[in-house]
Amino acid sequence: MRPRFLQNVRVADFTWAGAGPFGTKIFSDFGADVVKIESSIRLDSVRTGGPFKDRKFGVNRSGYFASRNTGKKSVVLDMKSDEGRKLAFDIIRQSDIIANNFGPGAMDRMGLGYEAVKAVKPDIVYLSMPMYGEDGPRKELLGVGMTISAVTGLMWSTGYRADDPVGPGTHYPDHAANPYHAAFAVLAALRRRRLTGEGMKIDLSQVESTLNFIGTAVVRAGLEGGDRPQAGNGSATMAPHGLFRCAGDDNWCAVTVRDDAEWRALATIIGGKDAASPDLASTEGRLERRAEVERIVGAWTADRDAETVASTLRDAGIPAAVVANSRYLIERDRHLAERGYWQRVEHPELGRSLYASPPYDIDGERVELSRPPLLGEHTRPVLRDLLGMADDEIDRLEAAGVFK
Amino acid sequence: MPPDTPIAQPYAGVRILDLTRRFGLYAGRLFADLGADVILVEPPGGLADRAGFTGGGTDGRFAFLNASKKSVVIDASSQGGRAAIETIAARSDIVFVERDGPYFEETALLRRVNPRAVVTAISPFGSTGPMANAPATDLVLQAAGGIAWMSGRIEDAPLSLPFDQATMVGSIYAATVASIAFADAERTGNGHLIDVAVQECIAHSLQNAVQVWDLERRVSIRGGEGTRDATEDIFPCRDGYVFLASPLALGGSWKALVGWIKETGHPTGEALSAEKWSSREWRLTGEARAEFRKLFTAFIADRDKDAITAEAIARRIVMGPVNKVTETFADPQLAHRGFYRGMQLSDGRSVTFPGPPYKLTPQVWRTSAAPQLGADGENGEQAA
Repeated sequence: MRPRFLQNVRVADFTWAGAGPFGTKIFSDFGADVVKIESSIRLDSVRTGGPFKDRKFGVNRSGYFASRNTGKKSVVLDMKSDEGRKLAFDIIRQSDIIANNFGPGAMDRMGLGYEAVKAVKPDIVYLSMPMYGEDGPRKELLGVGMTISAVTGLMWSTGYRADDPVGPGTHYPDHAANPYHAAFAVLAALRRRRLTGEGMKIDLSQVESTLNFIGTAVVRAGLEGGDRPQAGNGSATMAPHGLFRCAGDDNWCAVTVRDDAEWRALATIIGGKDAASPDLASTEGRLERRAEVERIVGAWTADRDAETVASTLRDAGIPAAVVANSRYLIERDRHLAERGYWQRVEHPELGRSLYASPPYDIDGERVELSRPPLLGEHTRPVLRDLLGMADDEIDRLEAAGVFK
Repeated sequence: MPPDTPIAQPYAGVRILDLTRRFGLYAGRLFADLGADVILVEPPGGLADRAGFTGGGTDGRFAFLNASKKSVVIDASSQGGRAAIETIAARSDIVFVERDGPYFEETALLRRVNPRAVVTAISPFGSTGPMANAPATDLVLQAAGGIAWMSGRIEDAPLSLPFDQATMVGSIYAATVASIAFADAERTGNGHLIDVAVQECIAHSLQNAVQVWDLERRVSIRGGEGTRDATEDIFPCRDGYVFLASPLALGGSWKALVGWIKETGHPTGEALSAEKWSSREWRLTGEARAEFRKLFTAFIADRDKDAITAEAIARRIVMGPVNKVTETFADPQLAHRGFYRGMQLSDGRSVTFPGPPYKLTPQVWRTSAAPQLGADGENGEQAA
């Protein structure tokens, strides 16, 4: 299905890179008119960052860009020119939402600060998502995705052992917590606008958003008066609970045991007297002898195929799964395949490339994605159809170098 | 902080029946803080998460995920209990159900009881497919969804994300799609049935790993070896760690960093001015990583996180403190913004509680303590 649930919503989308556009993508996937306003003077960093079709660079060949911008339109404007800024304002006037993920003050410098926009569009929903928020002594701290992880405690908490932080990679939390908190806030603001006629300003500090994603640990740390030690892949309540090496080069299986009955089932499958030890019969006993428990499980998985381990344990009611990588998910995961999770979408330069579906069915159907835009593909159509400009005026602007 | 003024909240007047158990709990919380009346239905004795592992009082996990909700105790296995749940469902705008909880297998019935409602079903693997009934934990879903693979050191095992992140990722996707479907239901009068699979939510959060495989036949892997600049890492300083990222591609961060070190007269400044540091390729090598670590660590060994952060801000270097969770309580930026607030939990204890994930103007986000068990009613048909 191509749901039109947001068909009457328009977004003037100034977001770029990975996280910001991920938050506005959900709007275009549900039928909103998302007009991405970008520039060839300073290209969106994911247009120039790979992966590229056939490993060949091109502003329309990036899979990373594609995955963040399905169903959007692309308008190219030189925001340093007066006429470029005027056109941006004309688009904003006809929009319900304006979104950006620049650092604090950047929109003001372009003349697109909240007050300026509100002056021309009083009921605008205005989303900013600077790393540390718009005000305060550290608002100017520069960061990348992993900086968010660092300052929130997520990086410190992600480690194999005490006092040796590792952190998640660049993929987390930038591609979940922040874009989706942002989308949720915008959707709430739209409903409030339907009720009251008023717009809303949303200042999403990515640090504050991420602190909510680890909010359970924040509240626990407050209650317990300190930080819990890094747990690695372990758990305070379950043993075994880990990622165990299986046969082959770099193959792993997650094995978790929630209660004593599951342990009995696992011990029977593993066999031998170590696993049958009465010391390990209770959760308490297993947590106390965690290293021993994990040695027993690890010895059993070490020369077994990860898929076989996972399916054997699952059949016995024990939560287990292959530690999947991207290739495994795409080529081997039968469940995702049967659920129709993967989509191929035709694109003039990317060909029929692969996309993950939005992670749900609606009324029994998948949300079908529309292809991402070529750079500047919709500049003329948007100016003509949305702004009602005549072709000769558009030609004049093009000749004047406004579309770059 | 200015006193609360009666400003309409976005979900004022919206009722949500929350029958989730674990992976979906945060979805209702998001709506509740923005004005929805979220009724958490708990079995007699309460949800398993209520009394945490540490015992005595409410667990932090429960307190966070269920703030602002109401609690009603209903035995869903009794006829009277079912009637009570269906009565609430009939008056609700959104119903969240979860596998292993009541009505997950009966979403068609809920749709008949209330055709206007958005019924959002959350489960580890979705309600169809060969794994639909497979047992799951947070770690298993992080593994099955592909995210566990992506963190950790290459010489060690993959490393999972802490603090039950499958719950957070699953819930936030459920909340956003429920919100979108509700907008449609309000407009058309027709509800929807949504089947959210947490594994898919995780697999949707892998940055560009899917495209890296599809287009370039490379598998994104933990450690960033060969893809991450020598500077992009965690380094020890006097009172903890800092995170730095100064690849040549990142604006002026590298130049500013070397400029700072040279200004102090530290020998690391000269060493980092050597020609080889202008080679992007060389900076990706293990050799460069080892050398940079040694040089930079020598420079910051007797400096504090706060002082380093101040230099980072002044000189526009991409660098910041690696905080412990408890250190965020004293973070000057968060303090300035009034992020943390005191909350008295329903068991009487006071705790530092996170503020909103988004600062809204007008201020329409409000939170209150997670409810005591049955605080908002008990159904008469409970099991003895």
